[in-house]
Amino acid sequence: MTVIDYKCPNCGSSMAFDSESGMLSCQSCGKKDNIEQFPSTLQHAVFFENEAKEYQCNNCGAVLITEPETAATTCSFCGSGVVLSDRLTGKRAPAYVIPFSISKAEAQKAFKKWCKNGRLTPAGFMSANRIKSITGIYVPFWLYDLHNDVEVHANATRVRSYRSGDYIYTETEHYRIYRDIVLNYVKVPVDASAKMSDELMDKLEPFPYDQLKTFNMPYLAGYIAEKYNYNDRELLPRAKHKVSSYVESYIQSTVSGYHSVSFASKDIQTTVKRADYVLLPVWIVNYDYKRKKYTFAMNGQTGKVVGQPPISKGKVFLWYMGIFLASLFSLKTLSWSMGGGFW
Amino acid sequence: MSMMRWKPAVILLLAAVVAVLSFGGSANASAPEAKPKPKKLIYDAAKLLEKDTAALLESMAREYGAKVETDIVIYTTNNTSNRDVVELTQDFYDKYAFGYDKPHGNTVILTLDMKNRDVYLAGFYKAKEYLDDGRLDKIRNKITPDLSGGYYYSAFSDYIKLSHRYMGYEPGVNPDNILFKWWFQFAVAAVIALIVVGRMRAVAGGKVTVHRGTYENGAASGIRAQSDQYIRTTVTKQHVPRPSDGGGGSGGGGGGVTRGGHSHSGSRGKF
Repeated sequence: MTVIDYKCPNCGSSMAFDSESGMLSCQSCGKKDNIEQFPSTLQHAVFFENEAKEYQCNNCGAVLITEPETAATTCSFCGSGVVLSDRLTGKRAPAYVIPFSISKAEAQKAFKKWCKNGRLTPAGFMSANRIKSITGIYVPFWLYDLHNDVEVHANATRVRSYRSGDYIYTETEHYRIYRDIVLNYVKVPVDASAKMSDELMDKLEPFPYDQLKTFNMPYLAGYIAEKYNYNDRELLPRAKHKVSSYVESYIQSTVSGYHSVSFASKDIQTTVKRADYVLLPVWIVNYDYKRKKYTFAMNGQTGKVVGQPPISKGKVFLWYMGIFLASLFSLKTLSWSMGGGFW
Repeated sequence: MSMMRWKPAVILLLAAVVAVLSFGGSANASAPEAKPKPKKLIYDAAKLLEKDTAALLESMAREYGAKVETDIVIYTTNNTSNRDVVELTQDFYDKYAFGYDKPHGNTVILTLDMKNRDVYLAGFYKAKEYLDDGRLDKIRNKITPDLSGGYYYSAFSDYIKLSHRYMGYEPGVNPDNILFKWWFQFAVAAVIALIVVGRMRAVAGGKVTVHRGTYENGAASGIRAQSDQYIRTTVTKQHVPRPSDGGGGSGGGGGGVTRGGHSHSGSRGKF
């Protein structure tokens, strides 16, 4: 069958990925196995499209109920981490994975601390244990290597003015500008999951690429993993859009030293050198506050937290008044120091 | 627990309030109490004012003058002997020995010569320092329209208030600097607070921390070819109007020294 759960060879319990040691570990007896030494034969296994879509937990035999994109999950009956390997094999196999380095407990603590530090979040937010769920998810991303050939034609002016007698002379020098630029961007991430908000995922960047590991199933044990919803071709426009502002600002930086630059033509040719399917670690927290649902995401490696928290009107007012009075006091002091009197 | 989180904002607020109040308190406390001195300050020889408005101006001049330790004097005359307005002012000061601190002391005088329709402002001692020729010119320019229109009460009360206000600024600074205006200070503070709190709100959900360089492969990026070709130069010229002397409103005059040896600042004009 295609359901894999990792049994401890010592005691027979289910093993899961341990974010602290980066190894597959057994919670019962503490045995740790190095994942990089695991055989990755399944990656090349043949997968038949019409194979039955029902999965059974190897540990307790219960039927695993999953969404069609789920590639790793925990059995809802016995809690052992399982990987649905056929959803990650063949042409759907991820090339790389960045494993979690932040554990569930650390993530929970970090979320609370983040909410507490939020200068505009209401005092009661996240203080009560109302975290609905905290889930470690391997989100599917495409990493694009994009090669851009840029050709730019522009007209620019340099202005000098001087006075002679009763006249001010304004001298405008006109230039014709040409730039041939090559720009290579590597590993531009675009999330391939339909469920995840693009805005949240963009803010989670950057992911530490030095932590990229060749994909191996045991990394997923104990977490949820999603299969991509969109392939690399479907997401290419988003990748191009992401780098377009970088290209734009690079072009601007090459035409400095002029008073005005007007672009006659900008020819940008983007070609995909490479697109890798990778799984990146994200902690997702759902939290209920005053009958509203809030979703936050945390980068599973760097610990960066994103997501819109509720805003306390009282705190906004206090900060506003505080800053207003402080600024007023500074201005008054300035005016007083200039000899203008305090009032 | 919950108090902890309110702390920074509350402390900042309280500190600001305390700072503003303490400063205000000391500023008010430094104003001396008016000495009971029933000295006459309004000499309306030309009978331009009603009796009760003259009394009103009298008490006003006393009140504002006490705050800046200066006698604020108004002198109107029909000038039957046809003397120069500066001379009139100087002799008037010598004769009556004005001064808040001592006879022939801190004084500012507004003289109206109704015969020649001349107006002269003079500042003595502290008022000479704080109401220099430039500031007296400012006051004169502000009250001249009212004087020309015959609105004497309004002109005189403006003169008293402006003299008091301008003496609140250290000598040498422009009293009409926009930085000194309370509404400007309030507006700037309000805008600063709006920007800062708006920024705090905007980044509450986390901000994008990647930039152009994050994904750029610097070794394989750059300019392959470039050219900056000079085409031509165009020149435009614009006539600069020479600074011409302003049309109406004869000004200048400046200060001088009275026969009694008291030096003063001054501003002279027509109305």
